[in-house]
Amino acid sequence: MEEEKFAAIIVGAGPAGSTAAYMLAKAGLEVLLVEKGAAPGVKNMFGGRMYSHALNQVIPDFWEEAPLERAVARELITFLDGGRSLTLNCQDLSWTEPPYHSFTLLRAEFDAWLAGKAEEAGAMLACGIRVDDLLIKDGKVAGIIAGEDEMAADVVIAADGVNSLIAQKAGLRKKAPAPHQVGTGAKQVIKLSPEAVSRRFGLSGNNGAAQLFVGDCTKGMQGGGFLYTNKDSISLGLIVSAAELQKNKHRISDLLEEFKASPHIAPLIEGGEVVEYSAHLVPEAGLGMMPQLYSDGILVTGDAAGFVLNLGYVVRGMDFAIASGAAAARAVLSARAANDFSRQKLGLYQQFLKDSFVLRDLEAYRGAPHFLEIQRMFKAYPQFATGLVSKIFTVDGGEPEHLLGKALGQIKKSGIGWGQLAGDGWKGARLL
Amino acid sequence: MAGVWILAESREPTLELLSAGIDIAAQLGVKVAAFALSSQLAEEYIKCGCDEVMLLPPLAAGQPLESYVPVIVEEALLNGPDIILIGASQRGREIAARAAAALNTGLCSGCTGLRLDQEKKQLVMERMLFGGAAVQTVVCETRPQMATIPPRTFEQAQPAEGHQGEVRQLPAAPPSPVTVVERTPKTSEAVDITEAKTVVCVGRGVGKQEDIALARELAGVLGGEVGCSRPVAEDLRWLPEELYLGISGKKVKPDLYIGVGVAGQIQHVSGIRDSKVIVGINRDENAPIFEAADYGIVGDLYDIVPKLVKEIKAALKI
Amino acid sequence: MPRIIACFKWVMDEADIKADPKSRQLVLDRVGYKISDYDRNAIEEAVQLQEKHGGSVVGITVATPGAKPCLKDALSRGPEKACFVNDPAFENLDPSQTAAILAAAIDGKIEYDLIICGEGSSDLYAQQVGPALAEKLGIPCATYVNKLTYVEGENKVIAQRKLDDGLETVSVKLPALITVLPDLNTPRIPSLKQVLGAAKKPVDNVSLANLQQTFEPCLKTTGILAATMERRRLKFTADPEDIRKVVDSLIKEGVIA
Ligand SMILES: Cc1cc2nc3c(=O)[nH]c(=O)nc-3n(C[C@H](O)[C@H](O)[C@H](O)COP(=O)(O)OP(=O)(O)OC[C@H]3O[C@@H](n4cnc5c(N)ncnc54)[C@H](O)[C@@H]3O)c2cc1C
Ligand SMILES: Cc1cc2nc3c(=O)[nH]c(=O)nc-3n(C[C@H](O)[C@H](O)[C@H](O)COP(=O)(O)OP(=O)(O)OC[C@H]3O[C@@H](n4cnc5c(N)ncnc54)[C@H](O)[C@@H]3O)c2cc1C
Ligand SMILES: Nc1ncnc2c1ncn2[C@@H]1O[C@H](COP(=O)(O)O)[C@@H](O)[C@H]1O
Repeated sequence: MEEEKFAAIIVGAGPAGSTAAYMLAKAGLEVLLVEKGAAPGVKNMFGGRMYSHALNQVIPDFWEEAPLERAVARELITFLDGGRSLTLNCQDLSWTEPPYHSFTLLRAEFDAWLAGKAEEAGAMLACGIRVDDLLIKDGKVAGIIAGEDEMAADVVIAADGVNSLIAQKAGLRKKAPAPHQVGTGAKQVIKLSPEAVSRRFGLSGNNGAAQLFVGDCTKGMQGGGFLYTNKDSISLGLIVSAAELQKNKHRISDLLEEFKASPHIAPLIEGGEVVEYSAHLVPEAGLGMMPQLYSDGILVTGDAAGFVLNLGYVVRGMDFAIASGAAAARAVLSARAANDFSRQKLGLYQQFLKDSFVLRDLEAYRGAPHFLEIQRMFKAYPQFATGLVSKIFTVDGGEPEHLLGKALGQIKKSGIGWGQLAGDGWKGARLL
Repeated sequence: MAGVWILAESREPTLELLSAGIDIAAQLGVKVAAFALSSQLAEEYIKCGCDEVMLLPPLAAGQPLESYVPVIVEEALLNGPDIILIGASQRGREIAARAAAALNTGLCSGCTGLRLDQEKKQLVMERMLFGGAAVQTVVCETRPQMATIPPRTFEQAQPAEGHQGEVRQLPAAPPSPVTVVERTPKTSEAVDITEAKTVVCVGRGVGKQEDIALARELAGVLGGEVGCSRPVAEDLRWLPEELYLGISGKKVKPDLYIGVGVAGQIQHVSGIRDSKVIVGINRDENAPIFEAADYGIVGDLYDIVPKLVKEIKAALKI
Repeated sequence: MPRIIACFKWVMDEADIKADPKSRQLVLDRVGYKISDYDRNAIEEAVQLQEKHGGSVVGITVATPGAKPCLKDALSRGPEKACFVNDPAFENLDPSQTAAILAAAIDGKIEYDLIICGEGSSDLYAQQVGPALAEKLGIPCATYVNKLTYVEGENKVIAQRKLDDGLETVSVKLPALITVLPDLNTPRIPSLKQVLGAAKKPVDNVSLANLQQTFEPCLKTTGILAATMERRRLKFTADPEDIRKVVDSLIKEGVIA
């Protein structure tokens, strides 16, 4: 029967899918949002911080109603080497005023809220349903298949995350991403009192901190650690290249335990209780793993499209997911106005993405993944930096040495070649 | 008669509740009464410290035990007991729930511990919550205060030299709208798992019924017994129900518990919590059993169990 | 054609409950909710009976307004209608209150032949609400049922009860209440169409005011403490050396000899 057809079916109620569903439903379309989890967000994880700009475009002043943890006031980057660490610590209180720069948040609540917004706007949300395949008619995507059931739609939006089955089924991407294209993330949420969180990170009120770690925590493998302060807990985790983990036979859970026990972290989480543990993949290969973004009757958004930027000092995925979900919704609205859901018409999506920060930023940092694949970034440089600065601060009655001399000594010690240093320095400055 | 009332399906649980009842009654300065199904039992209960026995007349053919509910309720309305303790067999639970509803009073089901608050003359009762993840303490604001108590929570009352009491015959149970058409008594072939020093527990991770042999072999070299999780007994029916451990099954306290393909959900863990050492074998490194275990072995049980058997044999030189 | 009521409860998922080891307070802020495990069997049984014999199935729950998501979940499992007895006051009810509220919401308001409850709820596991509800409604009940047959034309059910001392098959005149064990059936996993269909099914909202009664608790909870367990939580792999380490430790601890 005809009534069983939706204008759009969105697969996955993560930030990308819920944003698209929200916008389409608000525009009056009949929208179905399908989520395999028992509720939106139950299985979703991320590090812990979302940059606000993208969502603010879709839901202005969203912070007045969204379940958020803390507005980030303090950014820290820490290099680790054994007992040494070097931290760059930057506080900017303007970040904690509207339009807040970024927020820490917990996905279970946030995703449920955003999906709830879509539902409120009139989208139909079906949880506990896994989409298994696409309905193809005349070579065009015409709906979805879940178990025994088929459901037709003018257009399907794949928002099903890093392993996107839907993009594969649509033939937009060959197979699941290869190990070198993804990072494995593991995270624990550690409960502390709100006062302890604020005190330990020097935060006033409900301000938050975001801290990234490079060095020992990944045993020199490509990746890093992250720490975000929530209201009354800390999100702590690691992201390590899946390929390197495999090669070195390390288990991410063991690495995380070691990281927690290290003298740099242990005091920060002392007395805390682990209330949540999760693991998830992160697309890491940037534009290198971007599938075809659209075809007849289908669009690919968020992680499914590989829209994640991991620069070591910045991890961004949520804002890309939201902005790409919004761009997809706009493309669908145009297509609907013309009643044309062909590849050509839906190509508008790519245009919208190019006009927005999504493809612009990914393009700008195109080379970053390769740069970050350089081993030295994760072992030798942290060693060098911590060694140098610790040397500067060390007074031990030894011969005085100028800064340059100290630096030269440390470079020698870290075993980095001059050519490499110059090359990496130049590349780094250009790419990041 | 007011005071503390005891009701259980059979002799042992009645005597267990009696010992608790006598204790509370003494503190309250009231008497203890028990229901009995035969005059022989009535005598014994009196010998063991009961002040009054209410003798329930035999049921007509086809009447289930629960047909006594109206009789019990009637007696309670007439005599106003302070406390009614009921043995938490399945029938006991139904009787208790219905009697409490009829008497408009509170019932603490599955009460695992109780004491008397002397000042308020109130029972302070403990029970498990959330599958055993928490212990809830409750008091009953209405009268009588009722609780169902699992078997073996208390020691049995012992005969007290020359104790006297009265036996009172109760009216017959009214006809019941529920008729028993068939009874199949349990053929009790299973071992008493609660006595075992070592328990090897089979979970649903064991893929086929035949593969329980793996667990049996491990139990064999350790001189232990095989137990299981609830679904293995109830859904799959691979092992008798007397062997499943957990909040609704048996509670065990062995020296060594080894869970083989057991997820370790809280309802299960509640039954093995008091084991001296817990070992968990599971291929999912995030399985909850590892939170509850002293030694967790992450991997395929089909690989691990034979290795374990081999190592144990080597170590014990068998 | 039996008119069936299935009672279900919306409970915290106990697997999500964490505890603070020092204070032994439960940490409940990140728990998910679900339909109580055995109530899925209750709903499934009701729906299977309807599929076989016709009639109707209404799902009923007593909860706070926040439990609204339970309706879609329950309705996607087959009942054609839900009765949502909800009020902000219906938080942490004791079983006697729940039974009394259910009785007030059902008696004279919903026509029924059979009420099906779970053996016990996953959170309280009091195993009371079923039989207590039967008593309040003045109807017979059979508890711990693992096989249920509706006898067409005779207005009765035959139920097999699984009890400590064996099996007991009883014949029960309707209207009656049954509480079911999990081995009675395997609850279906709702399909997409069933989930979508659920959103269109009718829901009767019943508030405390509609019931024109008050419901006082009989039991008062004076404390809830997490059951903590000190365990070493050492982890090993399947490597033979690791297994040997475990065996050595167990021997040292004196638990194998
Ligand atoms: C360890 C880690 C740390 C991160 N840190 C940050 C950070 O600090 N800041 C940041 O901005 N980003 C971070 N990210 C990236 C961010 O999490 C993702 O970019 C973002 O979640 C992408 O959103 P999405 O909606 O595209 O996909 P997801 O959030 O993955 O949502 C996909 C949804 O689709 C559902 N689904 C999948 N398959 C199916 C199917 N077949 N049928 C139905 N439903 C399906 C899933 O259940 C899920 O709900 C991090 C990621 C990881 C792994
Ligand atoms: C009110 C209530 C009361 C309950 N009472 C009890 C009770 O008293 N006792 C009880 O046991 N349960 C009880 N349960 C059920 C309980 O919640 C769990 O569902 C049950 O204990 C799970 O049993 P399981 O671990 O055997 O099965 P599953 O949960 O299916 O777990 C199987 C495990 O085996 C692992 N596995 C699979 N294959 C392998 C392999 N090849 N090698 C290694 N590992 C493998 C899996 O990773 C998984 O963790 C109760 C539930 C409720 C709601
Ligand atoms: N709040 C509720 N709403 C509807 N049914 C309930 C509720 N609480 C309990 N029940 C039913 O009563 C059964 C036993 O619950 P309990 O007495 O809490 O163990 C459950 O399996 C449900 O079928």
